[in-house]
Amino acid sequence: MATVTFDQATRIYPRAERPAVDALDLAIADGEFLVLVGPSGCGKSTSLRMLAGLEEVDAGAVRIGERDVTDAPPKDRDIAMVFQNYALYPHMTVGENMGFALKLAGVRKSEIATRVTEAAKILDLSDYLERRPKALSGGQRQRVAMGRAIVRSPQVFLMDEPLSNLDAKLRVQTRTQIAALVQRLGTTTVYVTHDQVEAMTMGDRVAVLKDGVLQQCDTPGALYDRPANVFVAGFIGSPAMNLVTGDAVDGGVRVGSAVLPVPRDQLDRAAAGNGRVTVGFRPESMHQVGPGEGIPVLVTVVEQLGSDAYLYTKLAGEGADDVLHPSDVVVRTDPRTAATAGQQLWLGVREGALHVFDASTSQRVD
Amino acid sequence: MATIALPGTETAVQPVDVAARHRRGGRGGTSGKAGPVTYVLLVVSAILSIFPLYWTIVAGSHTNAEIAGSPPPFLPNATIVENIKLALEQAPIGKAILNSIIVAGSITVGTVLCCTLAGFAFAKLQFRGRGLLLSLVVGTMMVPVQLGVIPLFMLIAQLEWVNQLQAVILPTRVSAFGVFFMRQYLVSALPNELLEAGRVDGASTIRIFWSIVVPVARPAMAVLAMLTFLTAWNEFFWPIIALTESNPTVQVALAGLGSGYVPQRAIIMAGTLLGTLPVLIVFAFLGKQIVGGIMQGAVKG
Ligand SMILES: Nc1ncnc2c1ncn2[C@@H]1O[C@H](COP(=O)(O)OP(=O)(O)OP(=O)(O)O)[C@@H](O)[C@H]1O
Ligand SMILES: [Mg+2]
Repeated sequence: MATVTFDQATRIYPRAERPAVDALDLAIADGEFLVLVGPSGCGKSTSLRMLAGLEEVDAGAVRIGERDVTDAPPKDRDIAMVFQNYALYPHMTVGENMGFALKLAGVRKSEIATRVTEAAKILDLSDYLERRPKALSGGQRQRVAMGRAIVRSPQVFLMDEPLSNLDAKLRVQTRTQIAALVQRLGTTTVYVTHDQVEAMTMGDRVAVLKDGVLQQCDTPGALYDRPANVFVAGFIGSPAMNLVTGDAVDGGVRVGSAVLPVPRDQLDRAAAGNGRVTVGFRPESMHQVGPGEGIPVLVTVVEQLGSDAYLYTKLAGEGADDVLHPSDVVVRTDPRTAATAGQQLWLGVREGALHVFDASTSQRVD
Repeated sequence: MATIALPGTETAVQPVDVAARHRRGGRGGTSGKAGPVTYVLLVVSAILSIFPLYWTIVAGSHTNAEIAGSPPPFLPNATIVENIKLALEQAPIGKAILNSIIVAGSITVGTVLCCTLAGFAFAKLQFRGRGLLLSLVVGTMMVPVQLGVIPLFMLIAQLEWVNQLQAVILPTRVSAFGVFFMRQYLVSALPNELLEAGRVDGASTIRIFWSIVVPVARPAMAVLAMLTFLTAWNEFFWPIIALTESNPTVQVALAGLGSGYVPQRAIIMAGTLLGTLPVLIVFAFLGKQIVGGIMQGAVKG
């Protein structure tokens, strides 16, 4: 078991004009479950592969424990990796797949058998040890890939989207199983996903990447409650946070014909750039207010989920077109008293639930 | 040179057979059974494939005059045994077959091994000058063999290898075609993740080659082995230069058969039949496995 440190780690692919991973700084504690999340192409896999030793580090350093492994080959790093497509050896049985690393390490046959049997029991694979990967279902293959990692008892687990080839229901099940398993083993884990729900539910901490740059690394709760910039605010949470950009005016930010109140001093700092401020409010922190009091909106679609209902609305009223916002304003309401499409509503934002960002830098202002 | 042409037709038998199985496999997926048209085509191509071999036996049991008669004979008779005996007296065919097995076997093992290694390197390893080197290798395919024969012979003579088997084995131990063939196969059939998994599991490159690359490459290796063995068995041009009739391969030995003022075709045919038998036996036993290999590769795609 060990800590993992990325120290200004950078990867520039040959002939690429910008780094795939740009000066990544991350300190992962012993036994921690860290999730790397971000949109496609943001450099998650590259970061993980740098840690695995499958990708060169062009600048900076990577450390496992106290040891600098920047230039060490994968086999000297004591890590195990679960690949997105599992990468099971097609000609070996499940048991041989799981025991291959131990065999290479010169572990005694009887010891290998014991450890493989044990891992198979944990993963419910005991009946399949003699089968080839070809004869397994997707979920079983996924478990074999996990088994191959855990029999080695490595210092660090690396997982690159290990659930993305499973169907939705199995993914949710397996997600909990992996989290529980890793928790029990207490092994430091770096887990890559592009699914923010997976990131939030599994990670002790979540690191959000965009274009190779680390945006924020914090606990799921902190990411949700205090996103460091507009990107994180929009990325974490489903449905996403409503983000609108308007002019700073006396007492707050103008959104259409309404003014959302923002404390004086916070507003001044947020508007320091270009006088415009981005405000964000989550679907659940909005409520209906009396006509003429809040932000006027027009309901376009109502999404009934049973436990909740989501209203997709458009800003309405005077000045609505001057407001910069990428999509609908989404509101979570009680499913039994939900409005209907075409209805006009006035919305207020719960006190303290407004996130304020400088529109020129996209950075959070508190 | 009838002696070369006949084993050559043997090469044609295999692809037809493969294609037939391929079709049947393909149809099996949809309609379950082959239709009458398929059967007619199969029977026709089977007859076309088998006929040269049958004619070898017929011609091997009749004299020149009988074969030239009208209508020609259609059935073989016991004379062939006599002719086989004559052939065995005229040329050391037993030794030639043994030599051919050694030569074709060594060339096959060497070619398949070296081409798989080189193909793997070109397909999956990163090194400086990879593209240039591959172009060079492929480029050598365009140089005609005849062009190199004189310098090659001088070299072999200097080494004092004339009339020794290594003179025909070593020059063809690796083939550019084989390297290219294995590379093309491995580029698509061997996922990079598999190699990376091997590296993370702690395998060295040579260990990855034996434990991961070779098992994945097996179907292509089988096909390459089959092609190489047949080519080596049928090779005539270089062996007849480098070897003599005292230490021949099958093709060299057949060249010396039935010679005289009028070539005795019956004896030539009887010898040819002998020289073809080992190949026939090998493919009777291995054919299924090889075709299985081809199909396996096709399914995995
Ligand atoms: N071998 C490579 N050569 C050149 N550029 C590459 C290579 N691999 C990745 N890249 C580039 O580096 C960037 C980061 O890629 P990476 O695979 O790390 O993304 P990712 O975050 O894992 O995305 P995804 O969620 O789609 O897997 C991308 O812009 C990609 O195009
Ligand atoms: Mg990726």
